[in-house]
Amino acid sequence: MSWTKFFRRRRWDEERAEELSAYLEIETAENIAKGMSPAEASSAAHRKLGNTVQVREEIYRMNSLGFVETLWQDLRYGARMLRKNPGFTFIAVITLALGIGANTAIFSMVDWLMFQQLPVQDPKALTYLGFNLGGPLHNDSQFSYPEYRQIAEESGTAFDGMTAVSFGGSASGQSGPDGLTFQGKTLPVQTFFVSGNFFSLLGLKPALGRFFAVHEGSAAGADPVVVISWDYWQSRFLGDPEIAGRSVAINGHPMTIIGVSPKGFFGPTPLLHVQAYLPLGMLVVDAGTTPDFLAKGDVRPLSIFARLRHGDSPEGARAALEVVGQHLLARYPRPDEKTSGMRAVPLRPPGMMSGQDFNPLTRTAVIFLTLGILVLMLACVNVANLLLVRATARHAEMAVRSALGAARRRLIRQLLTESLLLALLGCAAGIIAGLVATHALTTIHFPTIFPLSLDFRFNWFVFAGALLAAIVASLIAGVVPAWQASRQNLSSVLHDSGRSLTSRRQRLRNLMVTVQVAGSLSLLIVAGLFARSLQSAQRADVGFATHSVANLTVDPNQIGYSEAKAQAFYRDLLQRVRALPGVESASLAAWVPMGDTQFGGRIDVPGIAPAKGQPGPSALFNAVSPGYFQTMGIPIERGRDIAESDSASTQRIALINQAMADKYWHGQDPLGQQFSPSDDPKHPIQIVGVVRNFRMVDPYSPIDPLYFIPLTQHHFSTVTLHLRSAGPETGVVRDVLPIVDSLAPAMPVYASSMSEALNGINGLFLFRLGAILTGILGALGLVLAIVGVYGVMSYTVSQRTHEIGIRMALGAQRGQILGLIGRQGIFVVSAGIIIGVLIAFAVGQLIRDFLVGIGPADSVTYLLVSTLLAAVAAVACLVPARRAIKVDPNAALRSE
Amino acid sequence: MPKRGAQPLQDEMLQGTLDLLVLQTLLLGPAHGHTIAYAIEHRSDDVLQVEHGSLYPALHRLEDRKWIASFWGTSENNRKARYYRLTPAGRRQLAEQTSRWEQLVQAINRVLRPASE
Repeated sequence: MSWTKFFRRRRWDEERAEELSAYLEIETAENIAKGMSPAEASSAAHRKLGNTVQVREEIYRMNSLGFVETLWQDLRYGARMLRKNPGFTFIAVITLALGIGANTAIFSMVDWLMFQQLPVQDPKALTYLGFNLGGPLHNDSQFSYPEYRQIAEESGTAFDGMTAVSFGGSASGQSGPDGLTFQGKTLPVQTFFVSGNFFSLLGLKPALGRFFAVHEGSAAGADPVVVISWDYWQSRFLGDPEIAGRSVAINGHPMTIIGVSPKGFFGPTPLLHVQAYLPLGMLVVDAGTTPDFLAKGDVRPLSIFARLRHGDSPEGARAALEVVGQHLLARYPRPDEKTSGMRAVPLRPPGMMSGQDFNPLTRTAVIFLTLGILVLMLACVNVANLLLVRATARHAEMAVRSALGAARRRLIRQLLTESLLLALLGCAAGIIAGLVATHALTTIHFPTIFPLSLDFRFNWFVFAGALLAAIVASLIAGVVPAWQASRQNLSSVLHDSGRSLTSRRQRLRNLMVTVQVAGSLSLLIVAGLFARSLQSAQRADVGFATHSVANLTVDPNQIGYSEAKAQAFYRDLLQRVRALPGVESASLAAWVPMGDTQFGGRIDVPGIAPAKGQPGPSALFNAVSPGYFQTMGIPIERGRDIAESDSASTQRIALINQAMADKYWHGQDPLGQQFSPSDDPKHPIQIVGVVRNFRMVDPYSPIDPLYFIPLTQHHFSTVTLHLRSAGPETGVVRDVLPIVDSLAPAMPVYASSMSEALNGINGLFLFRLGAILTGILGALGLVLAIVGVYGVMSYTVSQRTHEIGIRMALGAQRGQILGLIGRQGIFVVSAGIIIGVLIAFAVGQLIRDFLVGIGPADSVTYLLVSTLLAAVAAVACLVPARRAIKVDPNAALRSE
Repeated sequence: MPKRGAQPLQDEMLQGTLDLLVLQTLLLGPAHGHTIAYAIEHRSDDVLQVEHGSLYPALHRLEDRKWIASFWGTSENNRKARYYRLTPAGRRQLAEQTSRWEQLVQAINRVLRPASE
């Protein structure tokens, strides 16, 4: 068969018709010549030739591509059916689109966060080293430079090489990004300090210029060179082709850009975007790093990345590492830590967080995948249900078509084509929904001063998966009714109008609605739990002033200020802003409540000796200026505030929170007592005051011991100016910015407010994000459930119109009819609710750790959400039921 | 119409057989459908009776395989008719099919009358 003939077959047919009529003419003429009458001659000719239509049909069929032909027919017919039922089509397509779209977005993000390998050579062989503490924190992976050298030497051939790295901005005196000055303008930059072999270990080639030489980085401050990331090159330097050789300054230290890292490489960890790479020795530009840090065995700012030997596993390297670790501990003891052997952990996936027992990333991913799959499942069930309902409604049509000679195979194919058409439409809409949802996820603004990169895109592979699920679901949904419809006895259908054939399918549909109600209830309960959790976190009394306080974060180190110069700047800044009209009080602090970073460590408290094997006392601390407690609205319960006279040369002092007083000086008067940080035993700190507890770390955890030391006695370069004003925060900020600029020209300022800080990463941000995302999915589930219940109930009513008519004719009251219809709805919905509650209990265990102030079995949520769903379902039942009682018995009986 | 005793074979007539007969008929020269149908009937002494309509799909099939070609012409009694003629490929095909047919007939004969040989 050929396509040209396929398209020319109409002309062909005309020719054949002509040819056949030529035959008839000739035969008729011959018959007349034989002596027949013209009429007789013509009919004899027709008899001789046979059925001309059949002949033409046979030739026509020979010219057609059978499958394409009928497919086209099916498609046209299917499209017509879909167009004729716009409500049905719209609901089915939207349902599929939302299910597919939501899933594609969620899976794309999870795939990127958890599974995507680093774009480096043999990424699976990359690990990082650490001591297994068995505790919840992962700070078991920090090493000193001498330790790194020893590990590298002793591990010998156990690895294919290792490299030491350190995140910029994580040094003791700094808690924000570094500053990069170019053409007089300084902006924050996320730096990463690496030993000279870093890029070659990863197997990366520069996109431009060169990478570090192996020797670069092994001496402190000796190699002022920078490699920048592709994206930073594009955004900050506009892709300047002459970038290699350009002079910049990092934290005020002149440097030369030597190269650009490859496109698509954002650094070794998910989320955090590393914008500039510097040799390890340049870590001295970070505040708090001493020039001799490379020689000190107990200064541990480094992480170690190690490449496994080809084909080796982290387990394979364990034996060698155990020995190396023991030697290391013997030479560089870690007295405070319960170390139990060194290990290699895959770098990614799932990222550097895997050292933690509780990995929020994994857990979050599992939760959202679960919810996403639930939504897709609901969408598929919904479409299947809609198709089933419609197939039943088309019983008679199928029977008639079958009676008119349609083969069973053709009927099934027709229905399948329709399902497929629907699935394809849903997919097209799903692509759009997925693109929008993915974009929405990538543009989530994380409230942090660190640059983050959400470099994931609409994942077509994932989309194909969701698509497949939707197509399979609609095909299955299409096959069942098609099979049943094609099998049934024509006469029984036409006589019964389908009344008696529906009971089994009715059961199937009821089951599907039950599944839908159950699924959407569990989605809603999860959303409800998150919402309640957010609510209780919002309601929690944080214990400090959250309104009319502006937060301006600055880091004089970003423009190269020394400690002395920075301290002078702080003093001048406070003096100037306190004089501003409208400012009630102003103070500085190294750590903002709910902020990205926190400070703390072991302390030695006289009289408290830890039991063997138990960790000693520890406490968090914050370095603040005088007036901090006044600005924050935190009452000093006893003792005095930090004074201007407390300086680097006077006695070290601290105020402690009530929790610290209760824990370490229980039943004693803490005032006048002394303690010292374990890493600085030579400078004991005297307690001069006790402040009321407030929430520093997050809004929900138990309050930990916390002490406040003068900023003058413990320097931090990254500080935040808290400004309490009478009016709105923004007005004050406008006045302060010129002051900062006049005191420290070109210094970047990160302006925020205390109410924004409350919504920070450690504050309410994740609660809000969780509540919003689960809320969206829950709403989706609710809509699907409504559509499902309504669809099935109204279908039931339409099928039973005849029966209802008879009942009413026989004297049934409206209430009885309502009850008749309602009973079915109540049964289906309550079964769904019971199953849904059980599912929610299971999912609740998964999200237990994300909930604040409520348990995963929060009865209020369960009750409220179940009631809500029941009420909505009742309305969805009621509308069709009302239609039932309005049935006019006369009309119903006559319509048969 | 079928005559008693000489039951027409049209139903059992193998498709390839009809093709062969058409090709053989056209060996004598171009002809239109009417002529071909009667020619086959005549030459088989009316044993092979085709329902004349069924000839046309066969003609179409043969033309499709490029064994015959068609053109519009005028019939003996001045009527417009579609004529068919044998193509070189059709000629080859006829020779080939004829010999295969003969082999087949011989083979069947051997099976049916093994003793008389």
